[in-house]
Order: sequence, then structure tokens, then C-alpha cells
Amino acid sequence: MNFMLNSMILLSIVILTLPLMINLAFPHKTNHFPAYCKNAVKLAFLTSLPPLILFVYADTSHHTTWSHHTSINTLNLSMSFKLDHFSIIFIPIAFYVTWSILEFSLWYMHTDPKIHQFFKYLITFLLTMIILVSANNLFQLFIGWEGVGIMSFMLIGWWYGRSDANTAALQAVLYNRIGDIGFMLTMAWLMINNNSWDLQHIFMTNMNTLALLGLIIAATGKSAQFGLHPWLPSAMEGPTPVSALLHSSTMVVAGIFLLIRFHPMMENNNTALTTALCLGATTTLFTAMCAITQNDIKKIVAFSTSSQLGLMMVTIGLNQPHLAFLHICTHAFFKAMLFLCSGSIIHSLNNEQDIRKMGGLLHILPITSSALMTGSLALMGTPFLAGFYSKDSIIEAMNTSYINSWAMVMTLIATSLTAIYSLRIIYFALLNQPRFPPMSPINENNPNLTNPITRLALGSIFAAFILTMNIPPTSMVPMTMPPALKLTALIVTIIGLIIPMELNLLINKLPTTPMIHTDNFSNMLGYFTHLFHRMYPLANLQMGQHIATMLIDLNWYEKTGPKGQANLHNTTSSYITSTQKGLIKTYFLSFIITIPAIFAMIT
Amino acid sequence: MTSISLNLIIAFSLALAGVLIYRSHLISTLLCLEGMILSLFILIALLISHFHILSVSIAPLILLVFSACEAGVGLALLVKISSDYGNDYVQNLNLLQC
Repeated sequence: MNFMLNSMILLSIVILTLPLMINLAFPHKTNHFPAYCKNAVKLAFLTSLPPLILFVYADTSHHTTWSHHTSINTLNLSMSFKLDHFSIIFIPIAFYVTWSILEFSLWYMHTDPKIHQFFKYLITFLLTMIILVSANNLFQLFIGWEGVGIMSFMLIGWWYGRSDANTAALQAVLYNRIGDIGFMLTMAWLMINNNSWDLQHIFMTNMNTLALLGLIIAATGKSAQFGLHPWLPSAMEGPTPVSALLHSSTMVVAGIFLLIRFHPMMENNNTALTTALCLGATTTLFTAMCAITQNDIKKIVAFSTSSQLGLMMVTIGLNQPHLAFLHICTHAFFKAMLFLCSGSIIHSLNNEQDIRKMGGLLHILPITSSALMTGSLALMGTPFLAGFYSKDSIIEAMNTSYINSWAMVMTLIATSLTAIYSLRIIYFALLNQPRFPPMSPINENNPNLTNPITRLALGSIFAAFILTMNIPPTSMVPMTMPPALKLTALIVTIIGLIIPMELNLLINKLPTTPMIHTDNFSNMLGYFTHLFHRMYPLANLQMGQHIATMLIDLNWYEKTGPKGQANLHNTTSSYITSTQKGLIKTYFLSFIITIPAIFAMIT
Repeated sequence: MTSISLNLIIAFSLALAGVLIYRSHLISTLLCLEGMILSLFILIALLISHFHILSVSIAPLILLVFSACEAGVGLALLVKISSDYGNDYVQNLNLLQC
């Protein structure tokens, strides 16, 4: 019984590697490989549940270390797993969500000839994610970190014949790499100053601001905070199961997870906390603003993910890592479900992703639309659904703490914008009359489609309740506050629901649409991608071309050299002579006025 | 200030006004310029003899020499202009006008 926790978690990880090893050993036996993968993940989920129950009721947590270690001079590296509060709760949730997504992929990627490779990639991704989450030293975490980055690259570029997909995959890898610079900065600092990459050793000493900022940069890259955010909406080029798994529940929370792991270090460093707070607030507001005018259903959900990631970063900046972790767990459920519902809608409408060409799906796709509405309500923080426990607690903690008030205002505005874009999805996709062509293969009969959505819907309704009732108590959240502060999240969300509905009724019947500059700002993603991906490289290349070809001839000979001088003199003298009009009498008259004036001034 | 000096200063100012304000003939400028020089000459000579500053006695003579030169230059310009245009109207001098 003593060793049940770590042996069962290790068993679940081994079960996870079984499909990969079978694929390695028998590469041509592919009859039931996808179903086999799904069953393996289901079994791994069930195997990881007893450790969760043990942790909840007996508060056991383990660190398992292999004693065989490599050493680089004085730095020791060994393979070790840290099974504490965060990993033990996250691992079953990751397995549950992945199980549902794999079952959904059986339906979604059914006609894809390389479906086996797809499942292999998804299993590899999950394996690296588990390595990341359960790592006890930074080297193993980095292995998982890079692993999820590479699998993200391969999965976003799944349909590699499409140039947009290749560009998006490359963009994801590049932005993640920029974040990795911060990670390596922290690792180097720790190697020099702490001589250890083990989390236990690090927690006994201090970390200075530079190392913590390195971690924040790493989180900015991996979790798409403002500044390194454009890869996340572009990553929607990948298939919907990939978006559901990587870019909503698991990979993008890796950066936040890293900061949560290092929370004992960040508690005392106000610079790092303030940086995280302001960065998170900027991210959540900016991406929510971009989400409200998008027309692609997957992009709206992607921006919603980015906004929630900003909210998690705000929570870390508030020094509430356990609330951020709770939000990670609950967010996984409803965001994955939102993606699965959009996948169901997309496939049913024959690969139509534009919400302006959907409509009236409320009664045609009952399970999908109920799940979509449940997920949107959970995202908005409706009381007692999944999002409420985490999101409302975050906003309460924010309202009652002494923080930057600008960050607080931004987060509240972003919360109301959440309601706006969720309402937009529901309005355009589900309500009113259909705007899609009549011969669409609308079908919900396959249990591979409905079971995962139902399971995740149950999760997004009940999971947060079960989690908050059962996890051990952690850092204190403020419990008492004036009723107005307590109801802030709810009021802001309701305002965010009522105002767009009223505006819609006012403006809907106009014959022409006026050009609104804020609409253009929001639709062009704040001009960030336009400036940094198009205009800045173009300016650099044009300057390079100018220097290479035109600098010597045009500039030195013509503009600053001989011809330029002649030109300058020509233009100057023609300008001056044209001002002189030869009005001799007027000039003399001016003398007669100014000379007595000077006399009068002297005497 | 003695009344003679005041008289001569008024004469100078009148001649200056005559230089700067004229209608069409260039020769009026040159004549009033001569008037300015004359009044200045008499003013300096009177001041020298009134205050007995005999060491600057050469100043009026130098003034006279330079005024003769400048009158010559002015007359040469006037002769050239009148030989080109036939009269000395100022509105003829408009070649540099845009």
C-alpha cells in the first residue's frame, strides 16, 4: 500500500507507451490501432484514478527518483518524477480529456488515410505532456517542453499540402523557440548559481529576478501571452482534435504550469509578480478584443483560450497559484468540449468554418448545440457550472487584493467580452435561420461523436464541484467581501450579455454598414500580425535591397554628391529669387517706419 | 542742444525722408542723398568748432571725398539706366521680378 501511488502512476504512463511500442514492433498490424490507442488511454485514465483518490483522502505525495544519474562536473541529473498536488490532479484530467478526444478523432479523422500516424502523434504528445507535468528536475521538464513543441509542429502541419498550415506550424515553432530562450536563461542561471536543476534543491534557496523573468518569458512563448501570441490563432490550421487537445487543454497550459511549479520562488519577488499580472491582464483584454469580430468559429475559440490563459497569468500575478491550477483543470473540460462541438458542426456542414454561413443548428444538432451552450455558459462563469468555481474565485481574489487597478479593470472588461463572443458563437451558429446549403451531411448518429461530447459535458458541469470539495486546502483565498464585489463577475457578464443584444436590435436593420475603425482594429488582430509579420520584414528587405543596389549610385553620387549639390543650389536660389519681388519703394518705406521706431526706443 | 544742431538734424531727417519716399524718378533719391551728405558735413564742422575738438578736423574732409565718389557712382548708374530706358522711372527696374 505504501508504494501504490507512484507504482500506479508509473503503470499508467507505461500503459500509455504501449501503443507506441506495439507500433514500433509490429508496424504493419494496423487493423484496430486507433481503437487500441483509445482503449489504452482509457485504461491509463482508470489506472491513474486510485492515486488521485489516495492523494485526496490520505494526502500522500511522492517524489520518485531513479538513483542512476549522469553528472556534468558537479551537476547531477537523474530521472525523477514529482507526484504532488499539481501532477496527481492534472494527470487524470489530461487522460480523461485525451480519451474523449481520441474517441472523437475516431469519428473526425475516419476518412483520413494516415489516421494511424495521427493517433501515434497524439499518444506521443500526451506522453511528453505527462513527462512535463511530472518532472522533478528542469532537464526532464525541458524534455517534455520540447516534446510538446515538436508534436505541436507536426500536428498543426498535418495537412501539409496546404501552405497556410505549414506557415502556421513554422510560426508555432518559432514563437515557442523565442520563449525557450527564457527557459534556457533560467536553466543556465540555476546551473551557475544553484548547481542543481532539481526542484527540491531550488526551493531551498533564492532565485533572483532575472531567473524568474526567464521563466515568465518561457511562459509567454508557450502559453501565448501578449507579444508572442500570434501562433495560437494560426495553430487552428490543424485538425480539430489537435486544437482541442493541444491548444486548449494541455500544451498551452504548460507555460502556466511551469510558473505554478515555481510559485514558492515567485511569492517574494514583487517584480516578477507585477510583470506576470500586467502581462496577463494585457493578454486577456487584447485577445478578447480580437475575438469579438472573428468569423471563423475555431479562431473565436482559440482567442477565447488565449484570453483564459491571460486570466491564469493574472492569477499567478496575484500570488494565487492554486487558483490558477484549478482554472487549468476546469478550463480543460469546457474548452475541449467547445472544440469538439465546433468539430462536429464543421464536419456536419461539409467543412464550413465561417459562422456567417452557419445557422439554425439548434434543433438539427441537439447534442452538439446543448453541449455548445453548456460549454459557453461554463466559460462565462455561470454560477455552479465548471467555470464558476475557478473564474469567480479569481475575480474575487483580484477585487480584494492590493493590485494594479488598471490590470483589474482590464480583466473585468475582458470578462464581459467573454460573454460577448460566446453569445456571438451561439447566435451565429445555432439560432435563426440556416445559412448553409441544403445538402449538408448533418449527422449525429455515431456514438464516437456523441459519447465524448456527453462525457466532457458531464465533466464541465460536475468536475469543478467535485474538485473543489475534495482537494486539500491550500493558500487562503479571501472569503469575506462586500456583496457588490462578490457579484462583480456576474454583473459584468450580464452586462456583457445585455449590451450586445440591445445593440444588435438597434443596428441590425441598417442598409449599409459604416466603416468602424475599432472593428477594423479588432478584426486585424490589433494590426500586430500585420505589423510584425508583413510590414517589418518588408521594410527590412526593402532597406537591404536599397543598400545593395541603389546606395552607391543613387545616394553617394546623386543625392549627397555632385548632382545633389547642384540640385540644392538650384532649388534654393530659385526659391529665394522668387520671393524677392523687386518692390523697391515698399522696401524704402519700411526703412522710414523702422528707423524712427528705433530712435524712439533708444531715447 | 543748440538750435543750429537741431536745425541741421531736421534737415538731415527731411533729406532721409526724401531718399526713402519718392514716386517715380530715381534722380530725386540721388539729390536727397546729396542733401543728407551736405547737412552732415555742416553738422560735423559746426560741432568741431563749437566744442573745440580740433583733432578730428579731418573728418568733414574725408566725408566730402567719399560723398563725391558715391555721387559719381550714383550718377553713372543713372546715366546707364536712362541710356537703356530713355527715362529714370523706378518701375522700369523690374527684371528680377517673378
